[in-house]
Amino acid sequence: MVKFLKIFSVSAREGTVTRKYPFESPLVTPEFRGRIDIDPVKCVGCGACTRICPTKTLTLSYEGDEAVLKYFIGRCIFCGMCAYVCPQNAITITKDFELASYNLSDLYDEVVHRTVRCSICGKPFTTAKLVREVETRINGGDVEELLNICPECRRRLTVRRIGSRVVGTGGE
Amino acid sequence: MDLDNAFNGSLEEVFSKLKRSVWVFHLNTGSCNGCDIEVLDVLTPYFDVERFGIKLVGSPRHADLMLLTGPVTLKTLSKVLKAIKAMPRPRLVLVLGSCGVGGGIWFNTYSTLGGYSGLEEVLKEAGVEVDKVVYVPGCPVRPEAIIYGVAVLLGLLQPKVRHRRVMAVEG
Repeated sequence: MVKFLKIFSVSAREGTVTRKYPFESPLVTPEFRGRIDIDPVKCVGCGACTRICPTKTLTLSYEGDEAVLKYFIGRCIFCGMCAYVCPQNAITITKDFELASYNLSDLYDEVVHRTVRCSICGKPFTTAKLVREVETRINGGDVEELLNICPECRRRLTVRRIGSRVVGTGGE
Repeated sequence: MDLDNAFNGSLEEVFSKLKRSVWVFHLNTGSCNGCDIEVLDVLTPYFDVERFGIKLVGSPRHADLMLLTGPVTLKTLSKVLKAIKAMPRPRLVLVLGSCGVGGGIWFNTYSTLGGYSGLEEVLKEAGVEVDKVVYVPGCPVRPEAIIYGVAVLLGLLQPKVRHRRVMAVEG
């Protein structure tokens, strides 16, 4: 009986601890990580985020002339590695965690990029924005003609050039 | 927060919408216990969901709502099916956590069904109907997110997330 009465002194001291959550703001600290937000202006579609993502929740897939960067919130573990690794700082970590939805399709966030076709074989191989970004980063140079060639054709071209140089000098 | 506005301020209005108490059954389908601890957190006095009439019960036969955590491993599948079959209609399911929603880091492994989407197919084959499903992502889900999920499930709130497909802006 006496033990039971103890609780009144405890509750008088501590007061109400229950949070009134839906009627007050949630407890979100400055370092809290919620869902990510991809900026379609800054994103170049390089795919660095898709390679670091531990759950493969970010995927870059080529669908015809489009490259789609898909973010599936349902599988995200909110580690924030994509924002850390993004070379363009296109990914920001928001504080949004109220992500309940009725169907899985609502949990997809897609950024669609235009692809560039290889000037030799004609296959789409990378996004147009990435090519432009690389162009500005290397600042011209003498490899400008290689920009629009896919890695496979570029390899073949390089081998052919070296070969022709060796054969050419050897033949003379 | 705009949540206050979504509830239209008055407590009475919200509770009038809650026609009856929702009894929940917590089912772990092979999760890491992270989400389970958050479920426990929701039930303790700190978040105290009993103020909404939500009560944890020990048997799926008594439950209206199932809190499903984990990626549904093959080992647990038969028990999960039994538990969901045992629930009376209307059956409500709240899928919690990244594992439950999308399979988490186990989405394509050999020993899991990859979350609720895999389980849904098995349920369809077995002829078990589930009336309403709400997906609550998070790793682990925050207690607030669970409360929000329940509010969405009961129709007190509309889901915030929408499918977004945008073209990358060039130039």
